[in-house]
Amino acid sequence: MRRLLAILILSFLSYSCSPSSSSKNPYEIVLWEMEDAQVAPYIDETLTNFCDYYLKKYSIKPSISRTHYQGEDLRQQFQAASLAGVPPDILISPSDTAGLYAISGFIKNLEKEIDFSIYNKPVIEAVALEDKIWGVPISNGNHLMLFYNKKFAPNAPQNTQELFDFCAKNKGKFDYCLAFDMGEPFWLMPWLGAYGGWPLKDRTPTLNTEAMIKTLKFYLSLKYDKKISPPECDYNCMDSLFKEEKTPFIINGDWALSSYSSALKDKFGVALIPKLSETGLWPSPMISGKYFLVSSSVSPEKMKVIKELMLFYTNKENQIKQYKVLKRLPSLKEASFAKEIVSDPLSAASMAQILKGKPMPMAVEMRAVWDTARNYQGLATTRKMTPEEAAEKMQKNVEKKIEEMNR
Amino acid sequence: MKKETVKQILLHIGLICAALICVYPLSRIFTVSIRPGDRIISTDLALIPDQATFLSYIKLLKETYFLRWLYNSLVITAATSFIGVSLASTAAYAFSRFEFFGKRSAMIVLLATQMIPAGMLILPLFLMIMKLNLMNTYLGMIIAYSVSSLPFSIWILKGYYDTIPKSLEEAAMVDGTGHIGAFWKVILPLSTPALSIAFLFNFTAAWNEYLVARVVLFSSKQYTWTLGLFELQGQFITQWGMFAAGSMLVTVPVLLVFLYSSKWLVSGLTLGSVKG
Amino acid sequence: MSSVISSLAEIISFIILIAAAVAAIELYLWSHFKYHNKKLILYSLGIFFSIAFAFVFKLSGFFSVKVFSLFLIWELFLIYASKNLLKGKKYLPYLLAAPAFLGLAALLMYPFIFQVYLSFHDLKLTTIMKWKETGELPFAGIKQYIAVFTVPPLAETGFFKLLWRTLAWTFVNVFFHVLGGFILALMLSEVKAFKGIYRTLLVVPWAMPQVVAVLAMRGEFHSQYGFVNVMIKKALAIFPWLASLGITPVNWLSDYPLLTCVIINIWLGIPFMTVIILGGLQSISKSYYDAASIDGAGYFQKLYYITMPLIKPVLMPAVTLGTVWTFNNINVIYLVTGQAGGTEQADILVSALYKAAFTYNRYSYSAAFAMVIFAILFSISVSYSKFFAEKKEGKT
Repeated sequence: MRRLLAILILSFLSYSCSPSSSSKNPYEIVLWEMEDAQVAPYIDETLTNFCDYYLKKYSIKPSISRTHYQGEDLRQQFQAASLAGVPPDILISPSDTAGLYAISGFIKNLEKEIDFSIYNKPVIEAVALEDKIWGVPISNGNHLMLFYNKKFAPNAPQNTQELFDFCAKNKGKFDYCLAFDMGEPFWLMPWLGAYGGWPLKDRTPTLNTEAMIKTLKFYLSLKYDKKISPPECDYNCMDSLFKEEKTPFIINGDWALSSYSSALKDKFGVALIPKLSETGLWPSPMISGKYFLVSSSVSPEKMKVIKELMLFYTNKENQIKQYKVLKRLPSLKEASFAKEIVSDPLSAASMAQILKGKPMPMAVEMRAVWDTARNYQGLATTRKMTPEEAAEKMQKNVEKKIEEMNR
Repeated sequence: MKKETVKQILLHIGLICAALICVYPLSRIFTVSIRPGDRIISTDLALIPDQATFLSYIKLLKETYFLRWLYNSLVITAATSFIGVSLASTAAYAFSRFEFFGKRSAMIVLLATQMIPAGMLILPLFLMIMKLNLMNTYLGMIIAYSVSSLPFSIWILKGYYDTIPKSLEEAAMVDGTGHIGAFWKVILPLSTPALSIAFLFNFTAAWNEYLVARVVLFSSKQYTWTLGLFELQGQFITQWGMFAAGSMLVTVPVLLVFLYSSKWLVSGLTLGSVKG
Repeated sequence: MSSVISSLAEIISFIILIAAAVAAIELYLWSHFKYHNKKLILYSLGIFFSIAFAFVFKLSGFFSVKVFSLFLIWELFLIYASKNLLKGKKYLPYLLAAPAFLGLAALLMYPFIFQVYLSFHDLKLTTIMKWKETGELPFAGIKQYIAVFTVPPLAETGFFKLLWRTLAWTFVNVFFHVLGGFILALMLSEVKAFKGIYRTLLVVPWAMPQVVAVLAMRGEFHSQYGFVNVMIKKALAIFPWLASLGITPVNWLSDYPLLTCVIINIWLGIPFMTVIILGGLQSISKSYYDAASIDGAGYFQKLYYITMPLIKPVLMPAVTLGTVWTFNNINVIYLVTGQAGGTEQADILVSALYKAAFTYNRYSYSAAFAMVIFAILFSISVSYSKFFAEKKEGKT
């Protein structure tokens, strides 16, 4: 009986002292991230290095706890925690949700804290909203490019005509010539750019355009006329096709660089998404990156530590290390031209693709664009709707959704 | 007797087909778990892929807290199932054997608790857990889990109790036991099939739960396996090999529980004999 | 070994903790019911428990005047009820059901009130900060509710079309769950050898983690590399005449996404019903069947006149709850149509609701939407329970 009582009391005690997600102590920092699992060791290592560095510099050792959330979970949890008054101190997140947090007032704008001129300009543009900058860039990119298998094609095509010729000539050597996720609008944007369009102008959607119609028709011709691309293929499908060497070309993002180069080894090549012969323009993938976002509830004392952390994490040494480990391009200007990065053909190709890209708009209106475009793009490219009708309805619906969002 | 043999053979054929359909996807997950290169789908249907490897299992056990996650899940699930079934079995007895004010509406209220789409509960749940200071603890989760399976357990147990004739209890009560005694001596032993169904339901519900766990827990070591496995899922890249390996491993305990409890599921034999 | 002991200790300590809480609740209620006609004891009990309540909640840091006055009102109600309504009679069922219901109330009362509150106000991206700082929201009346019915929640598909689709989705799923479950349970109860093995294998879809199970199944429906179409192609190669019956490989995911979801969901849900019905079949005494055989009843007659009615009390809750769950279940749809949603062809009410809530952050609108879904489900299940209750009376 006495033992039972002891257990009872002990368990009561252990529940009553539970940790909360954010601490007033400026040296206890809570960080949430939504990275791919392979990135976690790198983050942990860099954070540990930072703690040691800080100890040396200020003779106080901060402690940082990292929690991983899946994409949507991170957003929901961060919003809930911010409402409950216990948000984490910093996030590592892509820029697409930053607009949301900025409008809700959950994150700080940082231009007073940090000198952003040391970072590459496009990667800053992707996290700027109404002349305010909301995040510190960790890496540059998150952009699509062309990967190819040298077993089939020793060189990448320069333009789409070359690509089509190659595909026609080598039919039968592979299942499909070019695989990419035709259901996700993220993969549509480079081509839209190559036809001279772009989804948002300032904060107004521009989807019912000649460019959009042409892009959708281009998809149809890839799928049904030229039969270059698989008729039904999502991310996992295209990924398998490329890894299993059933397709010579794939359009995928820089996040896949390291896994493809280890899967294909010498046969792996990176190139620009081929120029669109029809217009003579280069496809323009959306450029963003990974960013530190700082919760608006962070106290000034803690902000000092966090500022040190962000600067340390993005210093030249770490930026180069990040490239070596994760194949992610630096956001720091100084590191972008370091010889370790310039001399590597993979990074050179990736960098060249960034130069052809455009920053991803951070505005919340983009959410409505993604959601709507996905629906009508899907309908148009499975021939349930004409491209003209799809483009028209896309525009109408985006406008409606944006109005509802703000009403 | 020949007719009986034919019937048995047909039954076996039917059940084997059904079992194949049920198990086939599991075999595919096994394939994913031993396929190199983190591919969840493949262009060929071979059960054992080229260059099959158990590396994912080794990596999962060595590089993550997987065993710890399993242990956490097991603690939570065991406590939940026990509490859930005990609370439900008494409440269901009240609904089955008594007439009281508010009975019908209470039954409807039980149902109504299941009607709010679960995703909408994230925000209020977070706020509540926060206020009650239950962040990162198991107690809150155990209460939440055992309570949220109650409506089903109560309904199913009530339905089952209803099929037990009242005369059996009355006989026991003539012998001098009260309601509680009759419940303990007559009802509970006779309803092992329903109790084991309720137990299985509580078990699988708590074992596979994600939403509440996601809200409550945030440190890796405290995770249940559901959260742990989702650590492997990133924005674009998911480590499907390890994910599938983990899924295979977490299915095993559930199957063992099913295998064990199936003994109880058919122990209505006693019931059949007394009922006639 | 030590870890086993420590885990046992952990489990047991949780159980003891909750048992203590249950005991406290029981004692609290019992003392009120028991002393209903002894005014002095009853009121001093009330005072005692109020003080104890305040003390415990002060300790846990959750105390507020609002909570305390709510408790006082409850206390007065309880005293009134035990004095005038119960009068010491028949309080056992209340004691038996109380822990379960208090637990449910504790867990779901707040979220429910929260939803109701949101649905009559206006919470969205631009008002969220104001809400956090001042705790106040602009009042919206029934504006949100009107919007649910008049403005299409998705791009193309309006509310009523979605409702129709959801009802069809629910009906088809539940119907096949019950049918499949019934057939499998009957087979299981009649087969003689390897019972346990079959039973375990048949529950695999229920036992498996859903995410992987669904994603793997989804792969099988791929138009080119999936098992389903590969088999259809092979069948066509062997039996060309099948083509004349209209059997061809199909673009499952892009042309029939909802059908694909339904097939996968049926596959997922059958084992659960099988287990329930199997449990129910155990409660039917063999003697009924023997008696019917003597009267010369055939197999299906026995099924219809004996099995069906006797299994109803067990089946009815499973069907009712299955309906509610299926109505609100989008796991399969979410995973099959691509996690971002794909086209709208497979959306049902709840997935449209989540889009409004999570993509567009229209919290109040989605709260109103959730209340409408709640109301629909509520009326469905009330009519269900009426239906079953009438049947019962008809029988006796």
